Amino acid sequence: MLMELDADVIGKDEVILVTGATGFLGPTVVRTLLDRGFRRVRCLTRTAGRETRLPDVDGAGHRVEVFRGNLLSRDDCVAATRDAAVILHLAAARGEKSFPDAFLNSVVTTRNLLDASLRHRCLRRFVNVSSLTVYSNARGWRVPLDESCPVERQPARRSDPYCFAKVKQDEIVTEYGRRFGVPYVIVRPGYVYGRGNEAITGRVGIGTFGVFLHLGGTNTIPFTYVDNCADAIVLAGITGGIDGEVFNVVDDDLPSSRRFLRLYKRAVRRFASIYVPHALSYAACDLWERYADWSEGQLPPVFNRQAWRTYWKRTRYSNDKVKLRLGWMPRVSTAEGLRRYFESCREKLQHA
Amino acid sequence: MLRAAIVGCGKIADAHASQIRRIKGSEIVGVCDREPLMAKQLCERFSVARSFSDVDDLLDSAHPDVVHITTPPASHFDIARACLDRGCHVYIEKPFTIRAGEAEALVALAASNDLKLTAGHDDQFSHVARRMRALVRSGYLGGPALHVESTYCYDLSEPGYARALLGDRQHWVRRLPGGLLQNVISHGIARIAEFFTTDAPQVIAHGFVSPPLRRMGERKIVDELRVIVSEEDRLTAYFTFSSQMRPSVHELRVYGPRNGLLLDQDHEILLRLRGRRFKSYGEKFFPPLLFARQHLSNLVTNAKTFLARDFHMKSGMKYLIEAFYQSILHGTAVPIPYAEILRTARIMDAIFDQLGDATIHRPVFTRERRAYGHV
Repeated sequence: MLMELDADVIGKDEVILVTGATGFLGPTVVRTLLDRGFRRVRCLTRTAGRETRLPDVDGAGHRVEVFRGNLLSRDDCVAATRDAAVILHLAAARGEKSFPDAFLNSVVTTRNLLDASLRHRCLRRFVNVSSLTVYSNARGWRVPLDESCPVERQPARRSDPYCFAKVKQDEIVTEYGRRFGVPYVIVRPGYVYGRGNEAITGRVGIGTFGVFLHLGGTNTIPFTYVDNCADAIVLAGITGGIDGEVFNVVDDDLPSSRRFLRLYKRAVRRFASIYVPHALSYAACDLWERYADWSEGQLPPVFNRQAWRTYWKRTRYSNDKVKLRLGWMPRVSTAEGLRRYFESCREKLQHA
Repeated sequence: MLRAAIVGCGKIADAHASQIRRIKGSEIVGVCDREPLMAKQLCERFSVARSFSDVDDLLDSAHPDVVHITTPPASHFDIARACLDRGCHVYIEKPFTIRAGEAEALVALAASNDLKLTAGHDDQFSHVARRMRALVRSGYLGGPALHVESTYCYDLSEPGYARALLGDRQHWVRRLPGGLLQNVISHGIARIAEFFTTDAPQVIAHGFVSPPLRRMGERKIVDELRVIVSEEDRLTAYFTFSSQMRPSVHELRVYGPRNGLLLDQDHEILLRLRGRRFKSYGEKFFPPLLFARQHLSNLVTNAKTFLARDFHMKSGMKYLIEAFYQSILHGTAVPIPYAEILRTARIMDAIFDQLGDATIHRPVFTRERRAYGHV
């Protein structure tokens, strides 16, 4: 049963700032906002020429303002956050391979944005888009991974710059909430998939060593289709009475890694893969980690036990809280999401 | 025990911290970045006691013996001078300074303060580079080098640095007098400079913006460079920098009066180029066999080094830092002679002067020059 939702924190004519608006998730979030009737959506984008990804709303009476700027510039942040009642902070350092770069483009940028918004004194909601990867997932597999699970305490040891940056980003948002009363909400999506992100998630397996090693096996893959994820982010931005809350976002009816791989091969392309049982992958990660320590980093410890727990340990995921508190429901079923995803994978292959 | 500090907590600072940590008898006593968060993240990941956002505070409070400067190049001179004034030895990441005149001033200041300096030309101390140097010193070339060819490529299609640079019109690399080239070619030029003896060899340079970059609307970033360097009709060198060539090689060829050598940095391969020829068809069959044997030998050498836990991606940096620290502790010669650092700077100056204003943006240095951030 859904609990009664609080009223929205924002009116339709107030400014909503979306950072990372021209990235993978951003355009869908903007479209979702417009569909819900918001008329002042400010889209912050760093890269020139990517504005075409944003929905064309000229004829619909909506108003999308494109703001070119860099979150590393405090002046740009001040200008971008002016009059913003809600900030949906999607911009992130995806794919950065170095810790300093990931940190700079996630944490320093977030701090700049928070500082800038404090100057204007009109912020009513700051939605920090984080990731499920921040959880340590050290509990037994029977306990579902939900918002009460502990976050990685030593994120640097996972040797994953993205995870490190996201943990630190969450920390700084929480700190600003505590010290300055920033009304924040943290959204932690699982693996967001859809058109524009056609890669096979590393939770299924890796092709690093020349052949695809299938590591997921019977694990559930915490997918969330891009439209569903965008819905959750928008709801987190506008729903009242949820300040300081964390919401994990995964879809319903999630496939196992094995099923996903079978469907992918059938629908997109066939390739050889070797299944690596969990015990073996854990032992390999443990060995790799020990060797990295012993050799003083001759091999970087990219495979380690903490990473294994996050990506390849058998895990159950819960989306109860996001459904209950935000009234969120995945509007695109996993079957339909996968169908669209496979279609876009095929198109990408044909154009490659 | 040497107390080290790092100023500038960007990507390259990670490499410094990792390698300093591997050197026995050294300790990182402080890190500094004008962005306190950047300093703190390095502190946390490498268990450093203290972080600072001001160089003076670092020098006053942490009392380092040696400071590693890993900030953007425009700030190298001012920070290095401050460190030398406060009695610290200095390791400066490449490029050493913006102009050769600044490099000369730093070398003079270090000498007058009885302190030591080195430049981050760590590629010259990789395993394969050291093997090559040993062969040259053993007389394998049959005399002084006659011709050197250094090729240093940079693949701009890779994400990360290239994406950040091309997508950001305000990127600090664009404000360097030599733009991208200044930030990248030091390693390749330093390899040439090692073989020269005069202070300022003659330089002829030709550079241009590649067609792929032009198609992206880029007009400022010179990413193709060809250079001829010569010394009194005795020694010549070619330097090639390309963002388009594939494979994107990092190679050095050295030819002497008797034999030559080929260093392939990417694959850590060193090949002896035999000067003598076999007779008749022997020249077609024996050299391939000899090359095959050399490749096998390189494979075995690399495998042995790996098994000995000494084949890190930044092993050259570790060697250079260790050699620099040894020179500080024992008062011995620095690993890179100052004349070589200055020669590298002068060759680079000559290149950027010749490329001219048409393609390279020349900055007016203002307060930014004093800024110190992260690379």
